[in-house]
Formats: sequence, C-alpha cells, structure tokens
Amino acid sequence: MPRARTKSNDADPLDRVSGRLPLDADALRARVESVLAEAPFWFPVRHHSPAVALHLERALLARRPELIFLEGPSQANDLIPHLIDPQTRPPVAIYCSYRDDDNVLGLAGLASPAPDVPARFASWYPLLAYSPEYVTLLTARRLGAEVVFIDLPHHALIRPAVPDQPPEGRAGGSTPLAPEPEPERLIVESDFYRELARAAGYRTWDEAWDSLFEARAFAGWEEFRAELATFCAAARATADAGHVAADGTLERERFMLRTIRQTLAGRKVAPEEAMVVCGGFHLFLDRDDPRPPPEPPAGTVYTTVVPYSFFRVSELSGYAAGNRAPQFYQTLWELTRAGRADDVLAEHVVAVLRQGRRESALSSADAIAVSQHARMLARLRGRPSPVLDDVHDALFTCCCKGDPKEAGIHLQRTIDEADIGTRIGLVTPALGQLPIVRDFYAQLDDLGLGEVLSRERAFNIDLDKRDPPAARRSAFLHRLRSLGVPLGQLTEAPSGDLTSGTLFREKWALRWGPQVESTLIERNLYGDTVESAALAKLTEELAREHAHAGRTARRLVEAIDMDLPDLVQRAEQVCSQAVDADERFVSLAQALTSLTLLERYAVFRNLRRARLDELIARCFDRACFALPGVAAVPEEQQPEVVSALLSLAEVVLRGGRAGLDRALFAEHVRQAVGSSPVPFLRGVFLGTLTELRELSPEGLAAELSALARAPADRLVTAGDFLDGVLAVSRTSILLGADSLVGAVDELLRAAGWEDFLVMLPRMRAAFERLHERQRDSLAGCVAARYGLAEAEEVTELRASVAAAARLARIDREVARIMERWDL
Amino acid sequence: MAKKSTAQEAPAAVTPPTDGEVLRRPAEVLYADQLEALRQNDTETPPRSWRLSPRAVLTYVLGGKALKAKLDGKAVEVPITRKFYGDEAIVEGAIVTLASERALLLVGEPGTGKSWLSEHLAAAISGNSEMTIQGTAGTTEEHIKYSWNIARVIAEGPRPDNLIPSPTMVAMRTGGILRFEEITRCVPDVQDALVSILSDKAIAVPELPHANMVRARPGFNVIATANTRDQGVNELSAALKRRFNYVHIPFVADHKTEVAVVQQRSAELLASYDLPTRLPPPVIDLLATIFRELREGKSADGVSLKKPSTACSTAEAIGVALNSALHARFFGAGEVGPAEVARNLAGAVVKEDLADLAVLKEYVVLVARKRAAKDRSWKEFHDTILPALK
Repeated sequence: MPRARTKSNDADPLDRVSGRLPLDADALRARVESVLAEAPFWFPVRHHSPAVALHLERALLARRPELIFLEGPSQANDLIPHLIDPQTRPPVAIYCSYRDDDNVLGLAGLASPAPDVPARFASWYPLLAYSPEYVTLLTARRLGAEVVFIDLPHHALIRPAVPDQPPEGRAGGSTPLAPEPEPERLIVESDFYRELARAAGYRTWDEAWDSLFEARAFAGWEEFRAELATFCAAARATADAGHVAADGTLERERFMLRTIRQTLAGRKVAPEEAMVVCGGFHLFLDRDDPRPPPEPPAGTVYTTVVPYSFFRVSELSGYAAGNRAPQFYQTLWELTRAGRADDVLAEHVVAVLRQGRRESALSSADAIAVSQHARMLARLRGRPSPVLDDVHDALFTCCCKGDPKEAGIHLQRTIDEADIGTRIGLVTPALGQLPIVRDFYAQLDDLGLGEVLSRERAFNIDLDKRDPPAARRSAFLHRLRSLGVPLGQLTEAPSGDLTSGTLFREKWALRWGPQVESTLIERNLYGDTVESAALAKLTEELAREHAHAGRTARRLVEAIDMDLPDLVQRAEQVCSQAVDADERFVSLAQALTSLTLLERYAVFRNLRRARLDELIARCFDRACFALPGVAAVPEEQQPEVVSALLSLAEVVLRGGRAGLDRALFAEHVRQAVGSSPVPFLRGVFLGTLTELRELSPEGLAAELSALARAPADRLVTAGDFLDGVLAVSRTSILLGADSLVGAVDELLRAAGWEDFLVMLPRMRAAFERLHERQRDSLAGCVAARYGLAEAEEVTELRASVAAAARLARIDREVARIMERWDL
Repeated sequence: MAKKSTAQEAPAAVTPPTDGEVLRRPAEVLYADQLEALRQNDTETPPRSWRLSPRAVLTYVLGGKALKAKLDGKAVEVPITRKFYGDEAIVEGAIVTLASERALLLVGEPGTGKSWLSEHLAAAISGNSEMTIQGTAGTTEEHIKYSWNIARVIAEGPRPDNLIPSPTMVAMRTGGILRFEEITRCVPDVQDALVSILSDKAIAVPELPHANMVRARPGFNVIATANTRDQGVNELSAALKRRFNYVHIPFVADHKTEVAVVQQRSAELLASYDLPTRLPPPVIDLLATIFRELREGKSADGVSLKKPSTACSTAEAIGVALNSALHARFFGAGEVGPAEVARNLAGAVVKEDLADLAVLKEYVVLVARKRAAKDRSWKEFHDTILPALK
C-alpha cells in the first residue's frame, strides 16, 4: 500500500495512530505528565542523537542539578575524570570485561576454549562528541555537578550454566549466554511504532527518528522532552512484554531505581536537586517493582576507556546499537551549535561529491541540484528540512545515471564513506598502559614463550597441536598473526596429511621487535585482550568480506586456527551465504580448498561434518557453473585460474565423496574449451579433461597436431597450447607420451624457421614445468621414436662443426627470447 | 443478369469512433473524475502551470482515500485508484524532478511501466499526456523542434502561421510536460537538439527575424524514457545526461504483488480465450518465483545466478502461464501443473542466445534441485525440465 502521508510530519504521533491501536491516549498522556512532573527530574535520551544532546544540554543548564544519574555502567564511575579529561577526544568507549576466575557460572569450557580456561565477557559503551551521555558529563563538569552511572554491570545479566543443557544448545543456540539489551529493538517492534511507520510511510527507524526529532523545530527543550517521553511511553505500552522481560531490561531498571534511591539517601540530596538521564524507554519503569536486581557474579572485572572510531560505531561494522552516519551527525551537531543548521545539507552534499569526484565527474551544478532536490523531497514528504534519507534519495536521483544497484555502486560507497567518516578517538595518557599490552605479556609468560623477549634474535618452535599446551600456543600465535602483530612467522603450515600427523604440526619463527608493542597499542581498538581483539577483528573482516567465498572460507579456517569457537558458527554461516552469492570461479575454488582442508580435521575440531559436506558440495556445484566465465581471462589472471582448476580437479580425482558431480565438472570444462579463444587456456582445459579421463591422451595429441595443419598465425600458438596442457596435466605425459611426442614432432616438421622461433620459447617453458622423471620419460619416447638406444657412454658428436655452431646459435636465440618474454 | 446496386457494393462510410468506442483513451480522459476530485480537494499551491500540487500528483499515481467532489453538478465520492505499483520514493523523486530545473529520464528494463508512469505524470501535472515524441532511428530534429508547411512557405514565405510546432514547442508554449519515448533510439545528433531546449528553455527559429525565439512558460519540462537494453545503442551525451535526473524503474519489488499481477492478468487472458483451464495459486507462485529469481540473478535463499539475456519480465511470466494453460487444455488434463510450466519455460527464457540454456540449467541444478528435496511442486518442475536441458 502507498504511504498515506498527512500534510505534515508535525502531527502528533499519537493522533496519527488513534483508532488503529487499542491504546488509551488520554491515560497515556496523563501517565507521561505524571512521570515528567516527578522528582528527580527525568530526561529521556536516545544514544548518539545530536537533537537529544542539544536539548539535554539546555535542560541541564536551565535546571542546574546538584546530582545527575546517567545511564552508563556503574562499575565505570571511577573513569569519569578520564572521560572528561581535556586530552580525551571522542569517539572513545568505556570497555568493561569480566572474567569468571572460579567458574561460578559454570561456563568454563562452554563459553571458553577449555574447562581450565575461565570464561570471559566484554561489553563496550561508545561515546561520541554528540552522545547525550558525553554531553551530560561535560555539562556536569561546567556546573560542578556530580555524575553517577546507574546501569547494571553487564556481567550481572550472564546466565549461569544449566547442568542438563548440552553445550551447543547454549553457545550457538537461540539462547544467548548474556542477553543484549536492545531498547531500540523493543521500540521498533512495538505496535505503536509499526502503525506509525505505516501511517507516515517511514521506511526505517532512523528515518522515523530523524523526521520526528532531529529535523523538527521545537519551542524549547521542555516540548522536546514531553514529545520524546510520550513517544517512548506509547512504544512501551505496546511493546512485547515477553521481549521486555527476556532482554534484561527489567533487571537493569531494578538496578537503576535502587541506585537512584540509595544514592539520594546516602548523599542526602533532595530529589528536586537531582536529574536522571536515561533511555526514554526506562522513564516508564515500574517504580513499585518489589524484586531486587541481580547481583553481579564474583570474578575479575576490568573497566577502562579506549579509543574508538567512527567506523566501529557505525552500523556497517556490525555494532548493534550503531549509528548509521557518525560523520553526518557530527557535522549536524557542530553546525547546529554554531547556529548554522541550514548549512548541514550543503556541507554534507559537498562532502559526498568531493569524495566521489575521485572516480566520477561530479560538479558544483550537481551539488546545487542535489540540495534543491533534497529540499523539495523533504517538503513533499512533509518534513520541515531534509533528513539523511532525503539527501541519499536526492544524490541517487541527481547523480546516478542508471540502475542504482549497478551504476550506483560507486556512489553508494562514496555516500557510506562520507556518512561514516574516519575519525579515531584519543584517550588521555593519564589512564596508563593499555590492557591489551598487559594481556600480551601475561600470555607470553603463561604459555612459556617469555624467552622471545630475552634477546633480539629469532628462535624457532615446533608445535604439535594435539598437545593442549602447544594448541594454546598455536592459537595465541595465530591470533597475533591475524592482528598483524609482527612477533612470529609461520614457516611450516599443516600439510593436510592426516596419516602422517603433519596435519597438526606447525613451525614458527619468533622474533621480538619494537613494532610489536606499537602494533598492539593500535589494535587495542579491537579489544583489551589478544583474544577479544582477534575476535573483533575477524568479525569485522567477515562483515567486510561477506561476499567473497574464498576469503570467508579462509576466515573460517582462521577462526579454527585461532581457537575462537564462538566465531566458527558465524564464519560458517557467512561462508555459506558467500558461497551462494559469489559467482567468481577463483574465489569459489579457493573456498573449496579451505573447506576440504577443514574437512580433514573436522573430527579433531568437533566440526559438524554433515554441514561441511553439504557446503563443499554446494561450493563445488557453483564453481562448476562459474568455470566458463574464466574461459578468456587476461594473462595476469591465468595463473590463479590454473591453480583454482587444479584444486577442483584434485577434489574430483580424489573421489570417494558423494554429492560431487564429476560429469558436471567435465561438462563445464568442455564448455570452457568451446568458448575459450586463448590458446594457453584451451590447453589448460583440455589438459584437465585428460586428467579426468574425459579425453584420451591421443585425443589431446590430436588437438595439438591439428595446429600443425592450421595457418601460420594459429600454428605459432602451439607453444602456448602445450604450456597450458602441461600446466595441469600429468596423465598425458605418463600415459600418452608417445602420442604427445608424435604431435610435437608433426608440429616441428610443419613449422617454418620463423614460426619455429616464435613457438619455441613457450614450448621450452612448457617442458620446464615437468619434473625430471617426466622429462626422462618423454626423452625415452623421443629416443624410441628415432630408434635410439640409451647410451652407456658419452656419445661422440657426429654432427659437423657448422651444424653444432648452428645448434648453439639456436639455443642462444631461444634463451634471449625467453629472457625478453620473462620466461 | 441484373446489375447489382452500387449502393450495396460501396463500403460503409467510416465514421470517427465515439469516446466510448476508441480502443484506448489517454489517462487524463480515462481518469478525469479522479483528477478533478484531487483538484477540488487540493489544499496546497501547485507550482506554476501545474494542475495539481506535487502531493496531489503523488496521491493520483499511488492511490489514496476516496475523495468527495462535485462532478457535473453532483456530489460524489471518487475513489483514487493506484496506477503504478512501485516504490513510493521513485515516484516522489520523479515528481520533484519535474518541479525542478532538470528533466526526468525514466530508465528500466522493458515491461517495467516507464511509459505508463510517464503518461500518468503528464496527465496529472499538465492535463495532457499526448504531447509526445516517439524516439526512433528515423526521428529528426524537425520532430523535436518545428517544421514548415512547405506549400504555404512557397506561397507566402516563412511566417509564424506557416510554422508547424512540434509537441516540444506546444509543451513549451503551454507550460506543459513533453513526453519523449525511447530517447536512446534516436541518433546522437537528434538527441543533442534537446540540450539547448533543456538549458535555455527556448527554441530558436532563425527563419522568423521578428519572432525568432519561442520561450517556454513556467511548468515546461520533459519526461523521457529509455530502455536499459537499448542504452548502448545511442547513449546520451555527457551534456545531455547532466540535464536529466535519472529515475530507475525496477521490476515489481515484492513477490506478492507480482504473483497477484500474474494471477489477475492470466485469468483475464484465459477468459478472453474462453479457456476453462485453472491456474492453481501454487503454480502461479512457482512461475513468478522462477521469473523473479532468474531476472534478479539471485534466489530467495541467496544463491547467485547468471542472468539470461532475455528480460524475464512479469509480462513474460504471464505468457508462460497462458501457454501452459493452452498446453494443459489441448494436450493435458485441463489443470496446469509444474510440469506444464516446465515444458513451456525454456521457450520464454531461451530466445536470442543459446547460452541462456546453460543459465536455465544452472538455475535448475542449483536452486530447483535444492527445493525439490522438500517441495513436491519443485520436484515435478525439476524432474520435467532437467532432461529437456541435457
């Protein structure tokens, strides 16, 4: 159904849905009025909202509270001075971690790699310059007010192990170990919001929010506060009570209420002198709830402030409570405070177009057209000024000359870059050594790798991963490698041979250098331990590379190498989707290689074999269908095609696997032969067919000898063709040497001197691909063909001196050509 | 033998069809009551020369609540029907473009409703959707600008009365909307005649020294359409591209709407063929799914696929439904099943390029086979079509 927009988005949201929901609007308004009139003074917020931050700042300055209760982790109260330190610059995040040292929750081995490794949990609370929470902290400093964080520590929500529940039902099942409170999800899923979005035609929650609160002009902070509170009250009244109970909201609210009451009593501050700044949903918490909040479990709690980045706070990084355009809202915040709110549109449009100008011609005229279009769109949609959605739509209409899904890919990337920005935060040095650095040194000691620090020289270690301590060392080194910390190099990777045991063996060369610590400091952005940072980085890479089957399969292998069981399932899922979505032959073949490698130690790693088998079969099918697409790739891409084809052929030839359709592979190789105009690739494909026994060595030789009868311009490509054959085929050498030699012989007889010179370097390069034994076998055939027996002694040269000189000249000429051709 | 009466032999005199008899009426006539009801209820000021405000145009195209109006002296309630099934943002972008400096180019695959939308926008904005130029390889600059009544020019010399205005000139004089269909079928020289019209909003007539410029009234703008399959034929110059906002019209976005369209249109066609054959909903669903997935190059469960060279439009799906019904009626049991769809599908997908056969086979192996394990309809479809693709 079309959007039935009313004349203006200024209409009261409650009026818009009146009659469509079983909601008593009068009772709801009365409830809102009563809460807003309460002492302490409640102010609703949405995280990362410039409009809220602006109105909240005004409210704080107007009311000048003595004490401010702020929704933030209560265990981080001591960090407030560091957060408002002049040398701290957002984006930063409060990072809280919890380690269950004594396994009081019984999750060791379930939420950690082994029963003797304590379970760890972490959570982040990002703060941007325009986060209402951050603005509250800065304003409180100006006012001399005290701020108290009131949120329940995240680890208090972790559910302990249930004895009879199988591990997979917990770690990877539908019940998360620690519920992630998502107040915005509760709002978006509420009947009120759904009905409002339908009536007003909002396509996303962000569009709704921006239309209702960011782009609208309010008479003052009081009106803004009342409107936002009413909106949240309506959402809460129609939210799914089951979800509210399940996601930890009620437990957190009990804690908030208790903290507020106890602090007021303890500080002897009158409620009228205090203010509560929290998510709008929590304004309507049950003030009469008799149940106490949960007590946080015993264990090691670590809390710190770490630098953060706009990318990590953006939705693109996968952060659930993300901000869709951190840089755009930063600009909005800065210009609004400077009294230049009207310039936001032009500033952002110009920022996008400037970014896009690197790859396409976008002029100032485009900027003018986009701005005009966005303003008119906003008017048509009943908004007083354009929101980000209007700007995006205008950019696509005015600057994308075709289908946005194809012609607009570059523009979309440009928009994302300009929306998100590249800002990275700074944390005051007063906070001391970063936790990841401490964790690194502690782990080196724990794993017995401390020797590497004793002197600056390389030392080698040999690990057998079947031995648990060695497995932990290996995982640690793989994590460092993934983070780019230059401590160790993997000099010998598992060979994949299960019977010899080398599947589990690794050799590492370790060497300390000053870059180790500096890299760790940079990587602290990802987490406060090597493990959590590796996990976060791999998660991010998975999100970035989700469309590339080869890379996601590689990430899956890495997740296993790094012993990150929580991520394996996710990586498996992303890889499965990538296999379905990717159409690149090489990428699919790379994925197949990684997946077959995993399959070999599936048993050892407790991987789900059936799922892996299904994924391998699907990957194989898709690779087969993608194969004809590489029939004419340019020369620089040919080596990877050969390598990909070999890996596919290897899987087929190894046999013993159900679900892999050998005939399908052969059919598509034949299709590739039919459509390939490139002699080298034709050789590669025909050679592959010979390996598959789909083409006899005689048939292959006939293809080669046919070139002897072809015109000279085709005949000279025989070297490339043969090079292609020998790049993939060994069967043709061992089984069909006779016919191959015959074909080469026919070719050489047919070629003139000039043609021979053109053809020779490639032909020589082709034979250089062979192992010595294979070359011997061919030489034997040549000898037999010419009636020569193997000589016992060095045979005296019977040719004339002139003939010998001529041979030497030919050889020199060939060597020169090969050098020129870089062969 | 008596001579036959000449009166009996003469063919009946051709009389112009009455309004009710014409084969097709333009949108502004067909939907005159809706346009008038919207005009009477319009609370916003339309841009100059527009008959309706942008919001009323939007409601006309996308449909809305029934409106009370006075038509022919009677108070009536007029339902505002939906004319275009597509994303609202597309129509908003198109309307806003027409109110701006730039012209509008609707681009998309064949059968996506570009001309349909263009006609309705012109009807709603200027009350006349017939100021139209049909772009072809034979379109000349005269078709775009103006031409002369040669006989009168010989007799009287070039005078304003002897000038034959093009639809462009008429639209400029009235502040109306010019429709330029299939612009990329025209050769580049002819397309470039539009550059000055879109920049200067004027046409120069050098033959008339005292009236040598025709300037556009406010409200004049151009809606052009271009088929993405023809874009490479005569691609627009960079100068012309800059003067157009491109609005891409995709295929019907959601599966449910497409199923409904196929269902309704197939039923109408079956009735017109007097076929008693039934098209069960699961078969329509299967058919719409296949066409959608082939067209998009991606299955609902995320499998990427090669796209065939044919458009695989909703219209093609309707064609297959009809053929399947005919097949079932004359050679089968009367009811269309997945097997009939399978038998008639290849002809619709593989038309110009035999490589499309491989595309179809890929779809059958990668997508249909996976579903066949769980769904009987898909199994029947898969088992029937696969041998035919070997």
